[in-house]
Amino acid sequence: MFSGLMSGIDVGLLLWRAQLRMFVNQTLRSGKPGRIVATIIGAAIIVLAWGWEALITTIGVEAARRFHAQVDVAHLLSLAFLGYTAVLVFSSLIFSLNALLLNPDLDLLLAAPRPVASILAGRMVLQVLRLFLLSLLFTGPALLVLAFANHNPLIVIVFCALYLLYPVFVVVIISLMSLLLVRVIPAGRGREILTLFGVILAVGINLLNFLFNPALRDSGFARRSGPPSLPDIPGASAPWLPSGWAGRSAAAALGGDWGSAVGWALILLLVSIVIFAFGTALSGRLYLAGWIQAVPPRRRTLAARGPRRRGSIPLLNPVLASIVIKDWRMRTRDLAQLLRFAMPVVFLFVIFGLRFPRLLSSVQGLGAGPAAAMLGLVPAWILLFSLSISLGLSAVSLEGKSIWVYAASPNTTIRFLEGKCWSAALPTGVLVALVAVIGEILIRPGLTWAATAVLVAVAQAASVTTLMVGIGAVFARFDWTDARRMMHPAGVFIGMGLFALITGASALLLAISLALAGATHFPLVTTWLAAVTVSVGGAVAVAALGLLIGNERLRGLELG
Amino acid sequence: MLSTRLLTKRYGSLTAVEDLDLEIAPGELFGFLGPNGAGKTTTIKMLVGLLRPTSGSARLAGIDILAEPEKAKARIGYVPDAATLYDKLSAREFLEFSGDLYHVEPRLRDRRIATLLKLFDLEQRGNDFLSGYSRGMRQKVSLAAALLHDPQVLFLDEPTVGLDPQSARQMKDILQDFCKEGKTVFFSTHILEIAERMCTRLAIINHGRLVAMGSLQDLRQMVGQDGQSLEQIFLELTGSREEDVSAVLRGLEG
Repeated sequence: MFSGLMSGIDVGLLLWRAQLRMFVNQTLRSGKPGRIVATIIGAAIIVLAWGWEALITTIGVEAARRFHAQVDVAHLLSLAFLGYTAVLVFSSLIFSLNALLLNPDLDLLLAAPRPVASILAGRMVLQVLRLFLLSLLFTGPALLVLAFANHNPLIVIVFCALYLLYPVFVVVIISLMSLLLVRVIPAGRGREILTLFGVILAVGINLLNFLFNPALRDSGFARRSGPPSLPDIPGASAPWLPSGWAGRSAAAALGGDWGSAVGWALILLLVSIVIFAFGTALSGRLYLAGWIQAVPPRRRTLAARGPRRRGSIPLLNPVLASIVIKDWRMRTRDLAQLLRFAMPVVFLFVIFGLRFPRLLSSVQGLGAGPAAAMLGLVPAWILLFSLSISLGLSAVSLEGKSIWVYAASPNTTIRFLEGKCWSAALPTGVLVALVAVIGEILIRPGLTWAATAVLVAVAQAASVTTLMVGIGAVFARFDWTDARRMMHPAGVFIGMGLFALITGASALLLAISLALAGATHFPLVTTWLAAVTVSVGGAVAVAALGLLIGNERLRGLELG
Repeated sequence: MLSTRLLTKRYGSLTAVEDLDLEIAPGELFGFLGPNGAGKTTTIKMLVGLLRPTSGSARLAGIDILAEPEKAKARIGYVPDAATLYDKLSAREFLEFSGDLYHVEPRLRDRRIATLLKLFDLEQRGNDFLSGYSRGMRQKVSLAAALLHDPQVLFLDEPTVGLDPQSARQMKDILQDFCKEGKTVFFSTHILEIAERMCTRLAIINHGRLVAMGSLQDLRQMVGQDGQSLEQIFLELTGSREEDVSAVLRGLEG
């Protein structure tokens, strides 16, 4: 068992070196100026964030010294480790299932003349090392400040040991669970199951946070009574839980009680070794027992109910209509794509729907007028933000490796982009209009104000989504296999920034129109309509520019 | 029907295709052969408008492919080596989409789809998502899509890879019938036996340069030995390394 354990660590370090080499090859040694610059910018952002974290920690330490806050440090840290466990469970589950169901490299590794158990253990070690590095990345500066403030560098060492040991039991248990889980996951549905896990977790965390976090339990726009408090789990620091061992060890290290710190850390170490050794042996046996991998998935066919829908949209050019219909089919039939639609609506429901009665009573007293009409657009703008990013930015990349089908056809790239604009802006516009109308009906700001507000929302939806399609074309990725990697991070960043600029400028213009009417005694309707016109015109102009830039990129695209 | 003049593609210092001159007549079934990395796929991609040549020109039915790509593409059918199709569309839906992209009138499109699905034995699976198709079936669907708009020139990159013997035979028949109508087929393959039996003319490319072009008889005369198989001619023109390989393998044993 011990040799298996050492062999697992050996394989893990081998994989770790390969991963590091791949990272360096893809960044600093890529020879591509863009990637090198992006790596340097990324590093600079991390250094900035570290500086910020160090500053906040220093202020916190100073404040704690001056005000002698009465905090149960051991319990607080145990709570933090327990919360971290949720992150570990999720990331390990994705990592393990990915390795078992989707990544082809496991087969390659298993073909090597090493015991199967050591290969599986090696992947666990790799996951633990990644989590260790992430923990250090997030908390490193805070640890250094704490060590410096307490004049004790050993604090860093104890925390590093805890970061390395704490994930072990979770990673091993989840790896074993994954090996059992793949037996019941239908073959060929791995990617969808993984997506579903992600969704359940995201919605679950948001719902739990909303329902149980006292800081969020307010009544609409009313001020909270009393200070906000953090959610608490009393059992987090129990002496029989790993979170309790880690939390107590960390708290003892901060307090300078080295005996307790080492004692609790030793318990964690022993338990981790035992679990890792047993887990390694068991995972080898479970893997070799096999599961039905080779059975092809159930044939998925179109429902034979009623007449089949034909591929045409009235008043739309057949090529554009075929792109819109094809994209709609792709987005609604693929779970990962469907979620791009559904998630913004679900989160809108979590944010607004669950507080609906309280919000309604708060907004009904706002009365008539343009200010109330603008307030009614808030949910529509939130939805527009999500949908324009998720549908607009991904519209061109949605083609993936099948882009050759369009590229080989006798159509221009601008026609292709036109189709993509329709395909993203139609559903976005319809949903945004629907939410805007509902908002205005509930607030009742007066027909003129409500109608123009809805008009602004729809025009913004069309223009912002068009702009996102253009940005998506500039940063298009066609080599993705995982839908999460469809969008380029730089594209998302720029898209978000431009969305904030356009909608911010639009809101500012509308606010200025109200102020202008008050100051100059112009009729409010005149200034308001002028602001609406300028706002919509500006958004359309920016969108057209985005589209032209996107088209230039696509024109220069070579599918080698 | 298809001609290229000094067609060249460079990637930085690497020359993938250099000064390629081709002249292909209507009704020809033209085989494009070469070892791995010789420049076959790059040439085909330049001819169908997926890659821009670094220099040189290409004309299809008198149309400059570079100057009027859309006009040229309307006359081209293309089957790539590994056809990536839209997984979540059924074969019928994919063909409808393809027909719309090539401006085929809807009623004619639907009639042709029915004919092509029948021709490729995909009638029963026409409403199945493409994600459930085998590689060979996908290959058939992409050939059906390439034929749907009745092109004048068909470009196929390794068309028989992944096909069972029956389907490979069927594809050969289809291509030969296509050429009988005065249309042109340009295809690359590694399977020399197929090229030998099917093609009216052949071209061999190596390291991006055209090393030979003509009928099988022309190629035999070029290497100076009658009765040689295409495989022998190919190895001779592209440089056989049988002896080197044996030496390397012997070295591994030690």
